[in-house]
Formats: sequence, structure tokens, C-alpha cells
Amino acid sequence: MTSAADNSPPPARRSRELPAPPARWRRYLGENGIQRWVFYIPVVFFVLFFAAPMALTVVWSVFERTQFWMEPGFTLFAYDNFFTSARAENYLYSMLHAAAAVLISFVIGFPIAVFIRRRVTRAAQHRVILLFILPFMISELVRVFAMRPVLGRHGVVNSVLMDLGILSEPITAILYSPLGVIIGDVMSFLPFMIFAGFLALEAVQNYIFEVCDDLGAGRVRLFADIVLPLAAPGIFAGSVFIFVNSMGVALVPTLLGGPGAVNAGLIANQAIVALDFPLAMAISTIMIFTLVLLLYIGHRLFDLTKILEPIS
Amino acid sequence: MTESADIAVEVVGLGKNYGAVTALKSVSFSIESGKYYALLGPSGGGKTTLLRLIGGFLRPSAGRVYLHGAEVSHLPPNRRPTSMVFQNYALFPHMTVERNVAYGLKLLRVPAGDIRDRVDRMLAMVGLEGYNRRMPHELSGGQQQRVQLARSLVLERDILLLDEPLASLDARLRKDMCLELKRIQEKVGITFIHVTHNQEEALTVADRIAIIADGELVEEGTARDVYETPDKRFTAEFIGDNNVLEGAVAAVFDGRVALDIGFAKVEVPAPPAPVPTGARAAFSIRSELLRIAGRGEDMGASWQVVPAEYVEDVYLGLTVSHLVRLPDGTEAVARQMSGESDGNRFEAGQEVAVGWPTDRARLHLA
Repeated sequence: MTSAADNSPPPARRSRELPAPPARWRRYLGENGIQRWVFYIPVVFFVLFFAAPMALTVVWSVFERTQFWMEPGFTLFAYDNFFTSARAENYLYSMLHAAAAVLISFVIGFPIAVFIRRRVTRAAQHRVILLFILPFMISELVRVFAMRPVLGRHGVVNSVLMDLGILSEPITAILYSPLGVIIGDVMSFLPFMIFAGFLALEAVQNYIFEVCDDLGAGRVRLFADIVLPLAAPGIFAGSVFIFVNSMGVALVPTLLGGPGAVNAGLIANQAIVALDFPLAMAISTIMIFTLVLLLYIGHRLFDLTKILEPIS
Repeated sequence: MTESADIAVEVVGLGKNYGAVTALKSVSFSIESGKYYALLGPSGGGKTTLLRLIGGFLRPSAGRVYLHGAEVSHLPPNRRPTSMVFQNYALFPHMTVERNVAYGLKLLRVPAGDIRDRVDRMLAMVGLEGYNRRMPHELSGGQQQRVQLARSLVLERDILLLDEPLASLDARLRKDMCLELKRIQEKVGITFIHVTHNQEEALTVADRIAIIADGELVEEGTARDVYETPDKRFTAEFIGDNNVLEGAVAAVFDGRVALDIGFAKVEVPAPPAPVPTGARAAFSIRSELLRIAGRGEDMGASWQVVPAEYVEDVYLGLTVSHLVRLPDGTEAVARQMSGESDGNRFEAGQEVAVGWPTDRARLHLA
């Protein structure tokens, strides 16, 4: 906002439509008060839709369970229930599967990001990136469900491998198994790694790569010494996204996991279905703290604030 | 080989196309070893392309590059005796100054102790002693370019390529850095090839200047030659502040060419090449050599004088530019030092005469 704009008198027509606010309002609205308050809208939004629900989640997790809802009180029964049942173990397995999904997504997705940044013409890069958004146009339910005829006993993968004579009998371990869940997670969330990795690499000047040519850094050194450290914040951001979704999206284990397969989201879902709301809230609370812990570890490892300092 | 040992860079018929676009036509020239050489020209003229071809960042579409007599056209940048300093933002942003400079040596598997010594020595050379632990974003633009310089020089390759290294610095700093670059070049004694579009920068640093425009080498010579006696009309228009007037060759006689410029006939020293009578030609005269006098005032026998009309004076600090309009409508500029204020005795619209020493004008054939 320029000072010239502030000083210029408002157009006459507008002042007729909008009568001057009463004196007691003027204190808050002032000359350009509304513009000033506009900046608080995101804060209100954040508190209303983000901070408050999270706080309520934590509060409700210690409420007493009633038959259909819950009532105020303080009990750690839900946490006790969580940690002394198979849920805690399932939760840890869910973290493990999510970590595997992150790792596989990195191995597949990051080279794609590097390829797009380094080998695709500058003008076409964003269009190529856009292609990876296309799967999100399809309902996630359909997308995940579509994996069944691909991975199943008589699915595309098995029939192709058997027709080629590579397999004598179908692999059953790739569907209705933890492996199926991991494949489903990678399928669903891989683009996040590509987006985040690409955006991080996009900030790296072309000169940097030319300097490496000049100094004689081979592919391996270039990747390990330059590309990976410079893309680390992006890789971390993408990893967090994939990890959270792999842990929380109940759809994937429901459709691809087979009997007993769960993730944190599904455990919470089951608690809600059983009308045990404090337990669902407790699981959500544990998820929140898991994530905060991960972010803290990431911060200690990479010093996120330092990495995100302007690159120049 | 003994003959070519003194030649650091030789390019023969070097050309580069990007599809249908020609960035560099067939360019041939050579650079003597140990010289500070500037490639000067307007943006998009092909000078950076030429530098990148020498450095190995581009593959030529035609022609060859010889460095110290050996053909290198097919070699990647790190296998050539060259190193490149880029415009800006070319430091590794996640490495300290020390690690930036050391990285090339680390790749060459130089022992750690040697690396430390060489890095410290090089940082001292570029005036950044004690900056080892700073991060690039903590440095000013000039300091970042010094680190780049150290990173290239520490490799001890024979030819340093500088691609508009001072383009993003402010005018004052650029002047200081020019002198600094020249000092460093004299100290290390290797060949520097410096690409710039800034003539002042080129004149400051370079022993020799090549003018590159439209993908061609226009002219090449010492800084003084190129400034004072440009061969080509383009050079005259690009370097310095020249007045260029067009005409037709009316006669050629003992070392002079009589040029009919429409409203007057002027004499210009004849160039070494033969000049056909009747040919279109132009001549240039630097604005600081032009003098304005009242009509009929005598300037001396060795001066060429044409009538003009005074337009205005423009104060430029160090100099004052006096604008005059010639009878054919073209404008000419006469510059003088600001202290000598006698030029201000003319008023707009006043009829005056402009003159210049006959032997200082140069003829340019089309």
C-alpha cells in the first residue's frame, strides 16, 4: 500500500454508499481499518479450523466415555486401552509401513524430480509436473480400488509375469498384505515427493550445475554433495506429507490390506465405529505428538530454519 | 609447437546454432598466453556463447577450439585447462566459503593439508582472509564474486574465463573490482578472458579487446587501438562517444579521401585498403575532439569545419555535451571537460561552426 493511495480522498460515489462508521467503531476501523483487520483473517482461520480442533482432540481424549458420546472428566483410560492392546503394536507397524512408503517414494520419486529439473526444457518443466497432478483428479477410492485388479492373484502383474514365463504360479504377497498397503501408499502419495523435490531443485541456479561440470564433479559426487543437500528441505517436506498420509488414510489398508491390516487412521476409524470417541481422540493425539516429534528430529538433523534461509 | 606455445587460445571457424538460430557465425582468432583479454559487445551478440565454447560448456556446431595448441573441442569443461567464473549466484549456497573453494581440490583428491594451505593462500589473494567459515548468503555481491574467483584460481588451470563477473555489482564496486581483477591477473600471470557488455569495464581490465556482435568478431586490438582508431563503423558507434557521418567518396588523393556528406565536402585520412571512388562510406570522429566556434572563426589549416546550428548543452558531471544540428538534420555531439566553460557562449538556434582535426577522423567503408 503506497502512501499516495492512503492520502488520496475516496471516490465520491463510494462515500455515499458507505456512510462513515460510528465514532466508537472508528477506533478499530480507522481510515483504512478494514484493510488492517483483513490481515487477521488467516489468524482467525488458523485458530478456528486448526488450533482449536487439535486442542479439543487432546481435551476430549481424557473425557469419560458414555454409551453414545462422552462427558467431561479426566481419565487416562483411553490411553491405557491403547497401549495395553494390540493397537500400540499395530500403530508401530503402521509407522514402519509409512516409513517404507516414504523410502520407496524417495527412491522412485526424487530421481523423477531431478530428471524433470535437469533434462526437461525449462518451458516444459511445469507442464510435465502438472501431469503428476492428473491422478488426483480421480477419486482416491477409485484409484486405490483399481489396484486390486492390478495386484491380485489373477491381476495384471501376475498374468504378465506368468505369460512371460518368469513366474510359474501367481504371487499372492502383493495384495491383501502389508506389502499391498505399502504399494498402495506409494501409488497414492508418490507425486508429493516429485512436487516437493522439484520445487526445491527449481531454486537451485543452473550455474551450480555448470560449476560442477567445471570442477569435474561426477554424477555420484554431484548427487551426494550438491543435489541432495540442496533439495533436503524439499525431500523432508515431501517425506512428512507421505508419512502422515500413509499413517492416517484409512482407505488404503481397508481396500488393499486384507484381514488384520491397519494403520493409525484405521485404528481411529474403528474406535469411532465402536462409538469409543475418547479412544479415537487419544489415537489422534498420539498421532499429533508423533508428528511433532518427527518434525523436531528433522529440525535437529537438518536445522530446518537454516536450510530454509534465502539461497543467494 | 614452439610457435603455438605462446598462444593460449585459438579458435578456428567456430560456430554455434540453436536450431535455426545462429548464436555464433564462423569466428576465428587467437589469444596470446598471459594476457587479459576482453570480449566486448552488446547483449545477445554471441560473446557468452564464444566463452562457453572455449570453456566446454557448449559443443560447437562448426569449427575447432585449441588450447595451448591442443584440440579440445570434444573435451568436457573439467578436462580443459580452463576454469569459469559465472555471473552470480554460482556459489554452493550450503557450503562455507572455505568448502566452496576447497571443493574442486577435494574432487581431485588433493591431500587435506595441502587443500587447507592452498585455500588459505587463495582467500588471501582475493582479499578474503578470515572469511573461511562464512556462508555465501552472509557475503556481499562483490565478496561472493571474490570467492568464485578463488574457487577457480585454486585449481591452477592456465586460462580463467569470466562471464560478466561484475554485471550484478553497483557502479562503484564494479570499478574497484575491475582494478582488483587486473591486479590478480598480473599476480598469477595466467590468461584471463573476460566477457562484458560494459565498455568501461573492458577498457579498464583488458590488454586486448575483441568486439563481438551479431555472432561475429567485428574487430580486435589493444584497448587503445579499439578506442582511438576503430576500424569498423560498428566499433566506432559502440565504444566511446563517436559522431558518425555518412557520405560518398568523391576523390582519393595523397593519403586523403574527400567525402561528400551532402552539405559539405570533408577530408578524411585514407585507410590502408584501397578506396573506390563513388563508394558509400562513413567517417567517425570522437565527440571530445569536436570543437564549436562562431561562424567564420578560424580553426586552423589542419581542421575540417562544417556549418551547424547550436541546440543545447547537457551537463554530465565530468564533461559537458554540446549538441549541434548539422544542415542535413543529423545531430552531433561535442564534449568538453566541465571546467572549460567557454562552450556556453552559444545560444539555442545560433549559427555556429563545428570542426575537428583532420587526421583524427577515421573512414569506415560500408
